[in-house]
Amino acid sequence: MSDEMDPQRFEALIAAYGATPARWPEEERAAAEAFARRDPRAASLLADADTIDALLFAHRVAEPSRTLRAMVIESAPRRRTIGRRLRLWWSSILFALVAGAGALAGSAATAALAPAALNVQLYSHDEVLNYDDAPEEVAK
Amino acid sequence: MIGDDPDGELVRRVGEGDPHAVETLVARKLQRMTALAQRLLGDRTEAEDVVQELFLRVWKSAASWRPGAAKFDTWMHRVAYNLCTDRLRKRREVALPETWDAPDPQPLADAGITAEQQSDAVGRALASLAPRQREAIVLTYYQELPNREAAALMGIGVDALESLLARGRRALRARLEEGDE
Repeated sequence: MSDEMDPQRFEALIAAYGATPARWPEEERAAAEAFARRDPRAASLLADADTIDALLFAHRVAEPSRTLRAMVIESAPRRRTIGRRLRLWWSSILFALVAGAGALAGSAATAALAPAALNVQLYSHDEVLNYDDAPEEVAK
Repeated sequence: MIGDDPDGELVRRVGEGDPHAVETLVARKLQRMTALAQRLLGDRTEAEDVVQELFLRVWKSAASWRPGAAKFDTWMHRVAYNLCTDRLRKRREVALPETWDAPDPQPLADAGITAEQQSDAVGRALASLAPRQREAIVLTYYQELPNREAAALMGIGVDALESLLARGRRALRARLEEGDE
């Protein structure tokens, strides 16, 4: 690619992209910089473009709020943690074992497992809720 | 290749549900995408709606994202740009009330204005530009997309992009530097 840039192209380049070389198209940057160094017309073109660059630079957009950030993060799907995976796995194993024991042992096992046989007292839901309360509190 | 895309590895981890990767991607992209949407739409509330929709699509796509020719940042820009232009198109389809007036950019003749006032004035001037000029300026100057990428997003050639940029920049200065008549 030639290093020479003609004045018309330099003017069009600056008019579109402004005065900062870093913003010029990469493939033309070297040629444009060379033109700017050697051609006396370049300085006024660059100064003119720089005033517009300064105007654009002045515009600021506020940082996203914490609320927006939190909402965006919250909307992301989560993978199951190792702990949760283990609980799910253990629950499924227990369920399978209980179901299997019931099927193999039949009604005899069911009778043997009855609360009376195990000397286990079953509490009602309300009794469980009030378990730690003093009797007089429960009576209210 | 993931190595050619600075976001490639991060997106892969997001696709696996890594919560730290999610936070990192948000930290990396949220401000950039919010700025894009706000400058294209000229409205903060609408911009935040677009950004939330954008990230929903990011989460949906991350698991199946495959490194290829396009970078993830380019893909995000395309989605955000399309969401914004859809909203702008719907605005034009709605009849404006008789009392509505286009934003009137105030001139910057007064050297004593604050940085915030100057920012607001430029924001109004941007909003008053022809939409395609504004898009060209936002994508190249503010988002710093390479010219070919910006042109491809807008569905035009680089020559047309440069023409829009030059006209948009001149119009912006004219709106800001003209005094009250």
